[in-house]
Amino acid sequence: MDDFDDIRDRLVLAALPHAAFDGWGCGAMAAAAADLGLDPTMPARTFPGGTSEVVARFIRLADRLMEEDLAGVDLAGLRVPQRILTAIRTRLERWEPHREAVRRALAILALPPNLPLAARLTWGTADAIWRAAGDSSHDFSWYTRRSTLAAVYGATVLYWLDDSSEGAGDTLAFLERRLGDVARLGRVRRRFDSLLEQIPHPGRQERPNLRQRFSAVPPRG
Amino acid sequence: MTADSPPSHTAGRRLPGDLDREGLVERVLRVNQAGELGAVRIYQGQMAVLGRSRSGPLLARMAEQERQHKQSFDALIAARRVRPTVLSPLWHVAGFALGAATALLGERAAMACTVAVEETIDRHYAGQSERLGEDEAELRATIDRFRADELEHCDIGLAHGAEQAPAYPLLSAAIKTGCKLAIWLSERI
Repeated sequence: MDDFDDIRDRLVLAALPHAAFDGWGCGAMAAAAADLGLDPTMPARTFPGGTSEVVARFIRLADRLMEEDLAGVDLAGLRVPQRILTAIRTRLERWEPHREAVRRALAILALPPNLPLAARLTWGTADAIWRAAGDSSHDFSWYTRRSTLAAVYGATVLYWLDDSSEGAGDTLAFLERRLGDVARLGRVRRRFDSLLEQIPHPGRQERPNLRQRFSAVPPRG
Repeated sequence: MTADSPPSHTAGRRLPGDLDREGLVERVLRVNQAGELGAVRIYQGQMAVLGRSRSGPLLARMAEQERQHKQSFDALIAARRVRPTVLSPLWHVAGFALGAATALLGERAAMACTVAVEETIDRHYAGQSERLGEDEAELRATIDRFRADELEHCDIGLAHGAEQAPAYPLLSAAIKTGCKLAIWLSERI
């Protein structure tokens, strides 16, 4: 199976320049196979699921390559939003020359039958980014973190597709603002929590206070 | 090969439709992390009621052990890239509620709860240990070590009059059924 996995990756990478013009269909895959000197039936044999399978392979390959790229970067010294920013920047930088191919891939994922696949892939990407950022959550925050990041990442990629600024600077500024929004969400939550704490709690912890309050009443006389 | 010796490969003797190695390890870690979370919360619930009673220090010691178990699985779940169960908020509340409710029924009922839970977990860990092969020897050793702790808790419970609890068979059966359902759910979602 390993040989075929390798061939799948190579086919996807070879198809990138063709996909920009032809989309991710049979034509681009045939051209990719011809470029690699592979048998013309190879795309159909390695991707029996067709175009959506090719695109899924592409996104998962991007996840893996991002992790490889980030393995050489020291993220430990950065704060979490900066780690996320670095991870997404690294990821986008790699596919900068193939922006049109990414656009065609996302167009396929936007088709209604592919929406469940698109959701799974986005989740996988958010997961990969969080892992790279050193997330070790083991409770429900595992889910909230990934869903928040999936929303931020999705918006960032859409912005990036139409970003013509130098070095995708506008996209990074956009991403920074979105991460700021997320941080503000956290602050609002904490303020809400502290408001809740001011409401007297009927539970056990309050009893000593009540007792103190009663014992503080000076005896009459 | 006797039936007792561990298989050389995890999921090596699986049949079509059975989980593969990755799937099996993922389930094992997910359910164990959830289980230890539940155990920690049960003891916290009991401590909330019985913390100042005579069995307080005993409960505190068992709670501390469960906390260490949970920490181990928390670390493993992150290291092995396993998705934690989506039900953790439920176990957080349900564990505490179970602990507090049985403790309110009295010290013996609390011990009966401990015995019922730990017996179920013991059987659950034993089953996992059997299915893990030599290639997961480290995980198996961890599970075996924790299983010994759980058995000790079970013995402590029995020594403190668990079986004299009101409606012991009923209480025990209800808790065991609940635990099994929780295990089944946490393995999957």
